[in-house]
Amino acid sequence: MGTVRASARWIRADLRARRGQAILTVLAVTGIVTALITSATLLEDGTNPWRRLFIQTKGAHVWIHTEDAPDVAALSRLPGVEQVAGPYRTAPVTLVLDGKKSPVALREATAEPPRVAAPLVREGRWLRPADGGGVVAERSFAQALGLRVGDPFPVTALSGASHPLVVVGLADSSDQGFYPEWTPGLAWTLPETLNEIEPAQGRSESVTGLRLADGEDTLPAVHGAVTLLDERIQRMSTWREVSASMELDNRLLGLLLALFGTAGLVAAALALANATGGRVLTQTRDIATLKSLGYTRGQVFAVLVTEHGALGLLGIALGLACGRLVATFTLDGLPILPLSPVPLLAITGGTAAVVLVAVALPAWRGGRTPPIPAAPAAPPRGRLSRLARLALLVRLPPALVLGTRDAFTRRTPAVLSVVGLAVPMMMITIGLGCWATLDDFLRHPERVGQAAALTVHPGRLPAEVAARLAGADPDVAAVYPGAEVSALEPEQTRSVLARALGTSAEPYPFSVVEGRMFAARGEAVAGQGLLDLLGAEIGDRVRMTVGGTPLIVHIVGRVVEPEHDGEVLSLGIDSLAAKDAVPPQFYGLVLRQGADPATVRARLLAASGEALEVRAAVNPAERLAVIRVVIVALTVVLALLALANLLTASALGLRDHALDLAVLKAMGLTPRQVAATLVTGTGLPAVLGVVAGTAAGASVVAGLIDLQGHTSGVGAGIGRTPSAPTLAIAAGTVIGAALLVALIPARRAARAQVPVTAR
Amino acid sequence: MRADPVVTTVNLVKIYQNGGVPVPAVRGVDLRVERGEFVAIMGPSGSGKSTLIHMLGGLDPRTSGEIWLDGKRADTLGESAWALLRRKKIGFVFQFFNLVANMTVADNVELPALLAGASPREARERRERLLDALGLTGCADAAPAQLAGGEQQRVALARALANRPSLLLADEPTGNLDSRNTRDVLKLLGEVHRDGQTIIMVTHDARVASLADRVVSLLDGQIVDDGAVAAPRRRPRGTAGDVVELRG
Repeated sequence: MGTVRASARWIRADLRARRGQAILTVLAVTGIVTALITSATLLEDGTNPWRRLFIQTKGAHVWIHTEDAPDVAALSRLPGVEQVAGPYRTAPVTLVLDGKKSPVALREATAEPPRVAAPLVREGRWLRPADGGGVVAERSFAQALGLRVGDPFPVTALSGASHPLVVVGLADSSDQGFYPEWTPGLAWTLPETLNEIEPAQGRSESVTGLRLADGEDTLPAVHGAVTLLDERIQRMSTWREVSASMELDNRLLGLLLALFGTAGLVAAALALANATGGRVLTQTRDIATLKSLGYTRGQVFAVLVTEHGALGLLGIALGLACGRLVATFTLDGLPILPLSPVPLLAITGGTAAVVLVAVALPAWRGGRTPPIPAAPAAPPRGRLSRLARLALLVRLPPALVLGTRDAFTRRTPAVLSVVGLAVPMMMITIGLGCWATLDDFLRHPERVGQAAALTVHPGRLPAEVAARLAGADPDVAAVYPGAEVSALEPEQTRSVLARALGTSAEPYPFSVVEGRMFAARGEAVAGQGLLDLLGAEIGDRVRMTVGGTPLIVHIVGRVVEPEHDGEVLSLGIDSLAAKDAVPPQFYGLVLRQGADPATVRARLLAASGEALEVRAAVNPAERLAVIRVVIVALTVVLALLALANLLTASALGLRDHALDLAVLKAMGLTPRQVAATLVTGTGLPAVLGVVAGTAAGASVVAGLIDLQGHTSGVGAGIGRTPSAPTLAIAAGTVIGAALLVALIPARRAARAQVPVTAR
Repeated sequence: MRADPVVTTVNLVKIYQNGGVPVPAVRGVDLRVERGEFVAIMGPSGSGKSTLIHMLGGLDPRTSGEIWLDGKRADTLGESAWALLRRKKIGFVFQFFNLVANMTVADNVELPALLAGASPREARERRERLLDALGLTGCADAAPAQLAGGEQQRVALARALANRPSLLLADEPTGNLDSRNTRDVLKLLGEVHRDGQTIIMVTHDARVASLADRVVSLLDGQIVDDGAVAAPRRRPRGTAGDVVELRG
């Protein structure tokens, strides 16, 4: 107890003496743990609403759309199938609200909710037997259209007949993704109502859900269904696609945070080890005094670990709280699940272990300090270092030579300082690279396959009129006819998007990064995600069912494909069967350089009398804008770490060379030269660290981004290295700040009266 | 029955290894210090007097020989056991004061008391009493760096006495002080001694040594002279002390 009280006094006094450095350490660790927690939350899919919805609705893993009702008994016998939902008859109708048409899949549902994949009513109520004209709308669809309970829901069937329906409830479902990422919108109505709206069985499809025993293993059931139903299958989807469509681009953000967090943790460990080690060195005499007063080796170790470790642990605790806050605030209103205990414990335990190990090593050395306070802990002296001899050789001013000599008298702290600055600087450079890549997306959307700033859907007008109107606009440089159909990959397990845009003779300017552009019918280019899915390479011929028509596709190139995880096949519209291609579903408009898409859009709408549907392309960089915030925040954290390291190096340099100062002054060095010596001693490792970190960061950043692009399906070829001026400014700023940090104590020391006594 | 001597050493030897070459610092010292004695250890630089006093306090392990403190053998103790022993029984005063720079004067003096298990209140009371006795009442909240050298050494003395040690070891306590402060500190040591404190003091200053009851002279790690000092009086001219002083 007595030792604890005495130690508490010592720790309190020491922390008071180095308040700034202690606060920096806590803040830096807080930032790192926040980043790690947030990243784990994002990566764990806790932020993906699908996970929760699926559990709550007891959803089905596989959905099969067939022409007519399949044999439920046979389906339920498929391997791995636990329960079957449906089959539900579903009719395509069009919802017309204020002149705007939205396609809707109207699905039959009984008044009694099904046991599997039951929609989860959020507002209003579920269907009742007496609800002749009532529908329950899927909530995201309703929100997009501004529908509320009680609003009219007028639909037009394929026959052209209109039916006034009324929304009685809004429900969440895990059957399909959110509108408008996933179309058409979904609404449920009683079977009688559906029969009334669409009496023709041939114009509707049947939807059946399979709930599997093991959701991870969808293939056997999917293969079984394909064998069983074969030609009758129109399309299929698995929970993976639904989950992916609900994802909020969290993965990339999560990975970025994880990368920064992990590297930051390394930097923090270095900073902590450096701070503790530096403190042990500067306090050798005080520690010896403590021992002469009766502290044992173990107690000194415990005091040091407690003091320095407590800063880290405080940072971890604050980080846990901040991580929770960040997740709550940024993802406000989404049904997120909190981070599960395993990764939470792993992060807490892992960072705590790193912190304690980083602190324990120098603390152990501190505990071994001999108890004779008179013995000065002088830095190892001896010959000039190679660098110093070089400095002497090129006749640098004496202050610089002396500073160069001082910089490396202690190997371990010098290396810790260099690496401790290099790691944050490398991460800052990588952050700048991400920034540059986003800028590049925005400046050159054509490089990410978004040459067309606008797409025009003919709407009520005939396609030719739409094409003519679009082509007549002065700011439109080119008009490419397009169509999107679903394509089934050879094993028929997944449907992917086949996007026809432009013709083989006049292809849309896809951004081809490997191989070449398609130039003939039957040739196509693919995104990385599709190549990975098919296991195909450029030059392969793949048999696919495109829009229901079998087609042998010759993949001649790879494009940067930001949509649908890169699982997109792009080909000329002339490669499609006529039924899909004529008339084109939409037109992609490439604008002239410098034209404003919003202006052109307004002009087109005016010219067509609001009949055209004109959509502006959403640049991936806009969806990823939050990454910039993250980069700025992480840069601040890393800068704090670098600063903490510098303060340690500076304090240690002063302590080691305080005795020399008197000698230097006696030798005739002016205060300015003395200050220059000290600044060189601290600044040189800083400069080396910054240069090494910048070089390392710049050399890996493009590769890292491309690697991420590859795994996310977008494909390599998007990574950009920050420009040379940016790098120079960043490195210059850090070096300048480092020298400034070193200068302030150096000037004070140079002016102070230095006693010529042993410490 | 006679009380045990505070310190007894038997053939105490210390040999440093300097790059593989053995350098003997203390070569077979037999010393016996009775309770309440004030012993000055004198000798020129390199005679081994600091090494001897460090060994007596357990700061430096001995190479061979025996050390007995308060009738108990101490040379066989480990580093931690020595530390525990120092808390209760030994107070140290160093040439360069060695106050913990970040702590206030009050905290510096209370530290050993807290370490030995005193309650914060008890430690505070002892500190107030000690600082009062040493004329430092007003300095309690000052940082050591704000004090003059003599004041710092008085604080160090207060700290050394905080646990009423059975042995006070002083290593050149006046080596870094001017003559006035030297006089003050010596006066304090004398007062402490009169109160019954056993003191072993290392010095190379004969005038300082003359304050002690007994002067042990070391040369090349061996005791060459050990004798009581006559009652304090003005020394005649031409003693060895003056020679040393002139040379110093």
